[in-house]
Amino acid sequence: MSASAIAEPGRRAGGAAETLRRLARSPALRVIGRRLLSAIPVLWGVTFLSYFILNALPGDAASALLGINATPAEVRAFSIKLGLNEPVWVRYGHWLGSALTGNLGTSAASPQSVASILGQRLPVTLELVVYALIIAFVVAVPLGVLCARWPSGVVDKLTAALSIASLSIAPYVLALVLVILFAVDLSVFPAIGFTPLTQSLAGNLRSTTLPSIVLALPLIGFYARFLRGDLVQQMQSEDYIVTARAKGVSEWRVLTRHALRNSFIGILTVIGLNLATLVGVTVIIESIFSLPGIGYELLNAISNRNIPVVEGIVLVFGVIVVLANLATDLLYGVLDPRIRRVRSRS
Amino acid sequence: MSVPAANVLILPAQEVRVAGAASRRLRWLRSVEIWVPAAFLLAMLFFCFIWPLVYTVPSPVHGSLIDNNLPLWSKGHILGTDTVGDDVMARILYGGQVSFEVAAAVQAIGLVIGGALGLVAAYVGGWLDAVLMRILDVFIAFPSLVLVLAIADGLGPTEMHVIWALSAFSIPAFARVARAAALQLRDRPFVVAARLSGTKTWRILLQHLAPNMLPQLLTFTLLGAGLTMILEGGLDFLGYGIPPPTASWGNMIAAGQSFISVSPRFVFVPSIFLFVTTLALNLLGDGLRARWDAR
Amino acid sequence: MTVLEGNSFAGAWPGLDPATDTDGAANMSYMDSIFGELFELTTGGKETGDLATGYSFSNGGKTISITLRQGVKFSDGTPFNAAAVVYNWQRDLTANCSCKPVFLQKTPPVIKATGPYSVSLTLTYVDAPFINALQGAVFNWIASPTAIKKMGEKAFALKPVGAGPFTVETDTPDNILVLKKNPHYWQQGLPYLSTLTFKPVASDEAALTALESGAGQAYEGMSTPQLVKAYKAKFQTTAEPSTSPYDIQLNTKIAPFSNLKARQAIYYATNTPLLDKSLFQDTYPVGQSFTAPAGLFYEQTVPGYLPYNLAKAKQLVNQLGGVSITLGTLNTPVALSVDEALANMWEAAGIKVKQTEYDLTGLIGAFETGKWQSMLQTAGAYDPGTGVGVGFRFSSTSPFTGVHDPKLDGMLAAAAATTNNATRKTDYDQAAAYIAQNSYGPFLFPIAGYNIAAKGVGGPGLTSPLPVTDVNPEILWQYVYNKNTSS
Repeated sequence: MSASAIAEPGRRAGGAAETLRRLARSPALRVIGRRLLSAIPVLWGVTFLSYFILNALPGDAASALLGINATPAEVRAFSIKLGLNEPVWVRYGHWLGSALTGNLGTSAASPQSVASILGQRLPVTLELVVYALIIAFVVAVPLGVLCARWPSGVVDKLTAALSIASLSIAPYVLALVLVILFAVDLSVFPAIGFTPLTQSLAGNLRSTTLPSIVLALPLIGFYARFLRGDLVQQMQSEDYIVTARAKGVSEWRVLTRHALRNSFIGILTVIGLNLATLVGVTVIIESIFSLPGIGYELLNAISNRNIPVVEGIVLVFGVIVVLANLATDLLYGVLDPRIRRVRSRS
Repeated sequence: MSVPAANVLILPAQEVRVAGAASRRLRWLRSVEIWVPAAFLLAMLFFCFIWPLVYTVPSPVHGSLIDNNLPLWSKGHILGTDTVGDDVMARILYGGQVSFEVAAAVQAIGLVIGGALGLVAAYVGGWLDAVLMRILDVFIAFPSLVLVLAIADGLGPTEMHVIWALSAFSIPAFARVARAAALQLRDRPFVVAARLSGTKTWRILLQHLAPNMLPQLLTFTLLGAGLTMILEGGLDFLGYGIPPPTASWGNMIAAGQSFISVSPRFVFVPSIFLFVTTLALNLLGDGLRARWDAR
Repeated sequence: MTVLEGNSFAGAWPGLDPATDTDGAANMSYMDSIFGELFELTTGGKETGDLATGYSFSNGGKTISITLRQGVKFSDGTPFNAAAVVYNWQRDLTANCSCKPVFLQKTPPVIKATGPYSVSLTLTYVDAPFINALQGAVFNWIASPTAIKKMGEKAFALKPVGAGPFTVETDTPDNILVLKKNPHYWQQGLPYLSTLTFKPVASDEAALTALESGAGQAYEGMSTPQLVKAYKAKFQTTAEPSTSPYDIQLNTKIAPFSNLKARQAIYYATNTPLLDKSLFQDTYPVGQSFTAPAGLFYEQTVPGYLPYNLAKAKQLVNQLGGVSITLGTLNTPVALSVDEALANMWEAAGIKVKQTEYDLTGLIGAFETGKWQSMLQTAGAYDPGTGVGVGFRFSSTSPFTGVHDPKLDGMLAAAAATTNNATRKTDYDQAAAYIAQNSYGPFLFPIAGYNIAAKGVGGPGLTSPLPVTDVNPEILWQYVYNKNTSS
């Protein structure tokens, strides 16, 4: 059942054979196409695995909803009504079938549809992640450039030390410290809660700043070091840098105009890899700051055995990670020195 | 939670080679960068594992309720006692054992299983590589929380189950690093020569590839160990970590945060130990990598 | 005004239809605000009519008749009357929900409208605590039948319509609930608040920082003892009068607690006053029974209850050739620290203790398999005959009992089968003595939370104490005011 359901989109796409054939001629698109195709089993595996794991946990939605006073007969009747009496692979098949048509079902615990839950929760998590990336980027780029300008200088050494320190601090400890400092002692930011963008832009930014800083801090050190390394390497070895220098272009200009532009591709790759991590770390951050994101919802859904919601979230996680990996793999080729040389020659 | 190990995975080590007199000074500096954290870690291991054996340390559990909530520097309780009367220093030492054990076990499992997977995938290549990597992708794309919760809920939370749960992070991370390392080595002359001279595949894997990958994997182990300690505390925060009364640094922090504004020491004491130890692991890992990269 | 609700408890709500909200009891504040109550608890622990005006028992106590307030309208303009109550109650009885009302005997009750504003419910037995049991229960909340039919169950659960002091403005489950003053509310000039917002918060500590930063003006059920002082320094802090004591359930079906001596050893090894002093700064009244000061039929001491005696405990443990047990509890911070402290005390008496912590599902699972030895739990309620009352932990018909004693079952059934309060009191006293005599499980002290309010905010239940139902504080939101804003 599941295999044929997966094969279906491929078959449908076969109708546009001419388009495909034309696409097949472009090597880059072929890589993307191949990667997207290979992403399908990954996404399938992720949903399949979580469905069966959750199903294996003690307790199900019927007994959770009916509670402790229900008789076994009542639980059985309700299970049949919810379709829980069917074998797990049949239920998974149903889920997969409707998921492929874009219907993720209804939450087992509340009257909301999974799509509407995701619609409410996902923007919060994405906002956090994007905000954190912006903070990291804005701080890390100038820092990385300064480090690369004077390698082994004071800024460089300080950044190296701080970056290691930032990777060594537990995010939950950092969150507690920041809340005490900025929310309680200084009252600059609210300690908890989320103000939707639709309500107030300033309020929204204030409510997401502390959690975003917690997410961003390790990234700052990390990106700065990455950038510094990449820049230094370019400054030492790349032909066009040497050429530019020979032409009398100032060191700053070489660094910011020529080298930095090339390094951005590398940074983007790194961000792609971090995205999955960041979305994951938000589970803890969201629960500490009481932010209504998908991580927080995932925790609730798992403890309620709310399989439809867990599946929806797992699928979203999966799509994000797969897309990030795809982007990374594509850019990885670009990053590879040999490929870069080919590119700079052309 | 996902795989923060990916952070470390691609943290590049770019050391600038400086020629001449400066390099001698730098080499000395670099060895300081290695020996200081290494010595610190050894001291830490000694205090957590050996000290309680040779010196009488109060029990980390079943303290006297009458002596609860003693402040720092109390007589007989240098770091005070907690709300149920257990000695905080003892809990730090025994909790350190648990944190180290979890970190070491998770890394060892990752190194052996993930390392082997990555090595084989890279060397054999073809469909096996593709399939193994897709399976790893599933684990990386999978919110391990679901897995962790299933383990904690289905098997009951114990130290062993926490270790298995956290291995869901370390195995795919190690596999990726090992694969990348093996790919670089696969077409090196000495490997090609061995292959052409008819050496058996397992022998090439174990005798030619594995030893050459080891430095890279070992530094990754050190960096991952720090992360594992942090992650273990993350599980405690979500209520699925090491169950009390057993102490770990992570669960001490998680327990203390419920009244941090009144008694911050219950959070800060274990946090400091966790931070300094993770820092030492990261410094050592970073220092070693820099040294090996320079070679 | 914004009210914070702890995540682990009221901060999660699946939907607010009385017949489908599995968290209805925990969501009492929301439900009471939207639907009002047939009967509410008022000062001094009295059940008084809100949307109902009175009740009476007839037919030998088996029929309960309730008269309703006249002239009340649901916020959609449809009339609140006997037909609406009958519709709701019958719907509740067939609900697929843990919130479904439970009756001792299987024969379903007969529900009838005996007039435009009077309803009767007939059972096959006498259910004395019926009216008291309405607190936090599904029968207490009457929804607009027209709205349910018109909107459909799913939409209704997200924007329910009742006759309470507030109406739903926006509802995002587990996230934010904004209520607005009901312009058609039957009590003139009420409610005082024009907007009432509920938001979940991760923990007591997070709530403290949130209140300090002005993100909320009230917080329900603060229960971390270490934080009481910090809250008191900045806010109005009202201890909820407690009705449910902590008790240690002993599984008398399996070893070692099938043996009376092992149970006695636990009694002797438990120094409850010290526990109260070292963990809670002597905040709570140490008790010996399933009742608590704010509940009905309270007695502080029980004849035959074994006091703390370490020597005797050690002696019994020796006689038994050592005792080793598991002690479980729900993984809440307070329960875990009481658990740890208990383990420390029992170890001092030579009892080997292994602690286990459960989430709710795990706890239910442990009771299903019956393989637990001792559990730290709460027992008791405002009326011992209701909810998580004494029967819940001690009657063999309950899935959560450790005791299977027909004699005790009989005593507890008798106490709930008479409408005469004096007789009920005698019955419960006897049951308490019987539990003590058999050492079926020691009681510690009732732990209740604190309700926190910012300066200038107040109202019954929030700043003046009302008894809690099970563990949920009753707050009469229609009377709550906030002097700091015009709203």
